[in-house]
This record gives sequence, C-alpha cells and structure tokens, in this order.
Amino acid sequence: MNLDRNLRWVAVAVAAVALFSAPSMLVAQPGAFGGGYGPPLAVVPPPKAFASSDEHYQFLLSAARGGTKHTITSVPRWDGLWVTAGNTHMNSFIDPPGFAGKVREGVLTPPYEKAYKERWRQQQELGEVQYDRLTHCEPPGYPRWLLEPYSHEFVNLPHESYLINDFGPGIRRVYIGQEHKNVYGTHSWYGDTIGFWDGDTLVTNTKYLLPADFTRWSPMTSNQFESVETWQLKKYPGDVERLEVQVTFYDRHAFVKPVNAVYAFRRGKELEAAGHRVQHWECETSNNDVLDKGTTTSRLPGEAGFKDARGSTLFPDLPGQSRDPIYNTTLPSGKEQK
Amino acid sequence: MKTTFRVLTGACVASLLTTSAAMAHHSFAMFDRSVEKVATGTVARWQFNAPHSWLYLNVKNADGTETLWSFEGSAPPALLTRGITGTTFEPGATVTVSYCPMRDGRPGGGLGWVRLANGTFVNPSDGGCDGSPQAIEKWKAWLKAGYTSSADALKSK
Repeated sequence: MNLDRNLRWVAVAVAAVALFSAPSMLVAQPGAFGGGYGPPLAVVPPPKAFASSDEHYQFLLSAARGGTKHTITSVPRWDGLWVTAGNTHMNSFIDPPGFAGKVREGVLTPPYEKAYKERWRQQQELGEVQYDRLTHCEPPGYPRWLLEPYSHEFVNLPHESYLINDFGPGIRRVYIGQEHKNVYGTHSWYGDTIGFWDGDTLVTNTKYLLPADFTRWSPMTSNQFESVETWQLKKYPGDVERLEVQVTFYDRHAFVKPVNAVYAFRRGKELEAAGHRVQHWECETSNNDVLDKGTTTSRLPGEAGFKDARGSTLFPDLPGQSRDPIYNTTLPSGKEQK
Repeated sequence: MKTTFRVLTGACVASLLTTSAAMAHHSFAMFDRSVEKVATGTVARWQFNAPHSWLYLNVKNADGTETLWSFEGSAPPALLTRGITGTTFEPGATVTVSYCPMRDGRPGGGLGWVRLANGTFVNPSDGGCDGSPQAIEKWKAWLKAGYTSSADALKSK
C-alpha cells in the first residue's frame, strides 16, 4: 500500500517533468538531447582565465607534465554506441525558460548579438530559421558536432582518437601528442584537433574552423572559433556511466569572453540491443527548407527535382543497379511528371 | 497499483517521446501540426533511411484513382528503440496512418501513428506530428466513432 502511494508520487513527478520540460528540451536546456540521465550536469570552468585556446591548452599540458603516454593496452576504451545525455549549451546564450526565453545580452559581441537576435526571432515567430545547412547535406561541423543528438562512437588509440557522430557520419580526429598542422592553408568544417591524455582524461584543442552556427537556434561562430575540451568517463551511483565533455569556447569575433559549457554522452545500450549499426545518411531524405507561406524545397515523388534515396545509380540499364535490392520498390521520378 | 504503473510507464514514454521529437535535425514548419488526419493505403515503400524515414502509401481517392502520399517519420536510431525496423511496413501491406498535412497542400505530411493490418499501433513519428501513446488512445476512440480528422472530432464535442 505504501509502495503504491510512493509510486504514485514518483509517477506524478515523472509526468510533471515530462510535461513541463518538453519546451525546454526543444531548445537544449540541460534536459535537452537525452538529458536527465544521471545527476545534473555542472559546468567546470577552467582553473583560471586564459587569453586564447593555445594558452589554455598549454597550461593543461604543462600541468599534466606533457601528458600520459598510453599504450594500446592502457589507453581508455570507450567502445560501443553512445547517445547524447544532456548539455548546458543553450544556458550560455538564452535566458530560461526555453523558447519563451530571450537572448542573453552581453555574451556575444554587438554584431553577433544583433545577428543572433534576428535568428532567435525567426525561431520564435516562424518556428524555424530560414536556412539550416544540414538540409543541404553540409556537415554539422564543429562545434555543432557536440550537439548532434544521434548515435556516437569513440575510438581511442595511443596516437589518435576518432570521435564519430552518425550524421554523415561526421568524424573528428584527435592527434595525440602532436602540434597543430594546416597544410591545406585554409579552415575546414572540423578544423584541426590535437590532444593529450592526463591519466584517463582526454584534453583537446581545436582550431582552423569554418565560420558556422551551432544549430539553427544557436548563435553564429566566426572563423576564429577555437576550443579546449576535457573528456572524462564518470561513474555515479546506480550504475550510471556518463562521458562528460567540459568545453571552453574562444572566439574573439563572436564572444565577449570565453564561453564554458558541458556536454554528455551515455552508452546506447538500447540501440545496441536493437541491432543498430551506424549507416551513412541519405541527404535526399532531408532537403526541406521552408519558404514563404508554407511552401518548401522538399520534393515528393513525381515532382521535378525529386531525388530518390532508393532509386538507381547513374547506370540504371546495367543489372544490379537498384539501391533497393531487397524490396525493389520504385517511386515516380521527376522525369515522369507531365 | 496497476494504474500507478500505467501512469508511470506513460509518463516515462511521454518523456522519451518529447526528447526524440526534439532530435530531428530540421524544422517541421512545413507541416500543419494543428490538424491531424487519417489515411488508409497500401505501402509503396517504407524508406528506413537516416536522417529521416519516409512512408509512401498509395491511397485510393473517391473517384477510384490512386494518389501516392509521402509521410515523414523519425530517424532509424529513434525508431529502433520503439521496436520499428526497416521491415515493419512491407510493400503491399495495408496500413492506416495519422498525419499532419503539408501546409502547401501537396499529398504528404508529418507521420503520426501507424495501425498495422493486425490492428497493432506503432509510433514512427518525429516532431512533424503526434504518434505518442496518448495520441493513439485518443484516436482509438475517434476512429471507432468514424472520424478521420481531428478537426471534425473536436468540432463534434
């Protein structure tokens, strides 16, 4: 009887969380993207203020006396599938509560704050921003990579770590114990990431990034955006394992001062049990920029411009060229439209 | 006790659904989420592809002709945890779906729930329409009363 009464209260509490946290989840407040797993996430700021990501990284490298030299048998293993387990991302830029919140002033520089307020207006008034590069199959890039809510894989080797997000997939490579290199002479979606191990903690420094946006509801970042991350697998009572990423973002064009946030991942045991294996994304399934008055760039079968994700290759007359060899379904292409 | 467990389970599912709804990588502004409609048709293709699945149905019109309808669902990683795989809707099978129509009037929408030929309901929805257990329960009553549009069902109240 008492158990029943207690359970009722738990049920009411969970229901309340489910109902009232939904709007805030949508804008990635701490409950967002898998949040609520384990204890609340807490931002751990750097030990002191640094003028640049280089200075910050070098300080941590010195403190770790050049870093731990792991071997293939001692390097921390984060095998398997992982999914997002919350973050404090939007807390840095939007005052609560969620979509009803306003852009926090004084975090971004005046031109970036002005641009972000317009973006936030679009999100609030139109329900979407007028352009999201992901719908054009441009990669999420970094730092958006940290927010992507699908499955992740983390492969650590003594000389390099591979941080994989299933969008694309998007792969970050962390060059352990090395200096930055930029032989391409330009910036890129994921930039250049170096790192070192401090015991079981992976410390990284990323730079040479393209200007971009975190997400369609986040501020824009400049080509001077850089970061220092510390990755650590933490364990909590109740068999809770969480990979926590404490991040400091540096951007002299976009931020008044460095921004600190924490992102987390948990093991995707339910995905593994369901047989999930990461596949490449099909861009054709996601082109849907919304235009004026409800029109969209999304194309349906039979319409001009429709690209069939399970159609055929450029050589349809050759045997075995269907991209749907199990069911062999066909949809009308744009060419067939009269 | 049973009721409490049911409420608890429902609340947990609601919590999971609101999270998964937020997982989509693009906006759902092209769907009119204020209206839910129902259609029955035969599966032309269940496209279980990331980042968004699409269910294509041939739906019979009043004049006997058929129209191919397109419904956008969630990403495979989210669907797998709801027991939905790439073989759940086989081509040729007859299914009934709920959807939120495209604002521009084309034959498509955000996918809500799907009722299989054996009467089982599943939830392949993303943020484009509501396929949650609550929506399914609501619609079970409306379907029994013969409604195929939430607007009509609500008007009758």
